[in-house]
Amino acid sequence: MDDDKLLNLILLCIPLSLVSFGGGQTIVASLQHQTVDILHLLSGPQFTDLYAISRAAPGPGTLIVALIGWELSGLWGAVLATLAIFIPSSILLCILGSYWQRHRHTAWALAAEKGLAPVAVGLIFAGVFAVGQSARFTPLELATSLGAIAVLLTTKTGPYPLLAVVGVGYFLLSFAGMA
Amino acid sequence: MDKPVGDIGMEREENVTTLALLVSFLRLGASSFGGGMAGWTHREIVERRGWLTDDEFLKTLTVAQIMPGANPVNLAVYIGLKLRGVAGACIALFGMVLPAFAVILAMSVTYQQLKSHPEAQAVLRGLACVGIASSLTMGIKTARRLKGHALPILMAIAVFLMVGVMRWSLVAVVAGAIPVSVAATFWIEREKSRG
Repeated sequence: MDDDKLLNLILLCIPLSLVSFGGGQTIVASLQHQTVDILHLLSGPQFTDLYAISRAAPGPGTLIVALIGWELSGLWGAVLATLAIFIPSSILLCILGSYWQRHRHTAWALAAEKGLAPVAVGLIFAGVFAVGQSARFTPLELATSLGAIAVLLTTKTGPYPLLAVVGVGYFLLSFAGMA
Repeated sequence: MDKPVGDIGMEREENVTTLALLVSFLRLGASSFGGGMAGWTHREIVERRGWLTDDEFLKTLTVAQIMPGANPVNLAVYIGLKLRGVAGACIALFGMVLPAFAVILAMSVTYQQLKSHPEAQAVLRGLACVGIASSLTMGIKTARRLKGHALPILMAIAVFLMVGVMRWSLVAVVAGAIPVSVAATFWIEREKSRG
């Protein structure tokens, strides 16, 4: 049972690895949709929890697949999901990297560099939309998100101080029975 | 022994031991909190170790950013490949991912222990809010680079609708969208250079 789930996760990760331009945030939409709605590996709130942990953790956001793997099959699940998300893109890089490097000044190579950005933008917003939908935010949580966006866009504050402040704030609110 | 691939880093091959490579990338992996990984990697590989020149590093960085995969990991793998061939690439991948992997597993175990407590649930909801906010901010900042050109903006909106709203297969949409987007960019750039 769990092995089937892990196999499904690995088969999901391998193709996503090859299209994860710019890293983890571009594949979140598909991870959410597939693991929650299609394959039923996780519940919506479970996915939101793992997403929250992966955004608070160091390292590439792609490591959310390690959390999903751990949730499904423990250590082996985490290890195999991590390999499945990093190895295919690394192999492609090793095969195509020096070719790309030799041709990087041609007009097509420069167009490819710029042409990836619109696709990445669309995918990042799709990921935010997917997680936002499955998270079913309360008005307080929505206000927190909007406040955090305002802070991140208008100041030089990074996400870590915000994570600390909001984490402590929500703990206190919950402790006081208000959230 | 694996031979380095490509045209850079060859003359330094004998100076780069497997152990030194592993130590360097474990250090980098352990410092991968937040962003700025290209800067950290430059400091370690170019300034501290002297394994690559500035110019070689910049070439490597371009390749790492354009290929699929997390950029810091790609950068490490490609540097490893240049310095010590396939074995170097494997060592770099291992060193880069292991520290973050260990931390995220520790967080996962803590989550399993605490998730039944309402306070832990509240904290996670708060972290999710900030996580979404930082993803959205990243999207907005990347979108600003499109600089108001109609075609790239339409492309971004189309990809968002297909993947986010209509929930088509992300892999299929990306496979279709990239050639179109690259061809459109090629055309825009050519028109621009003609004035």
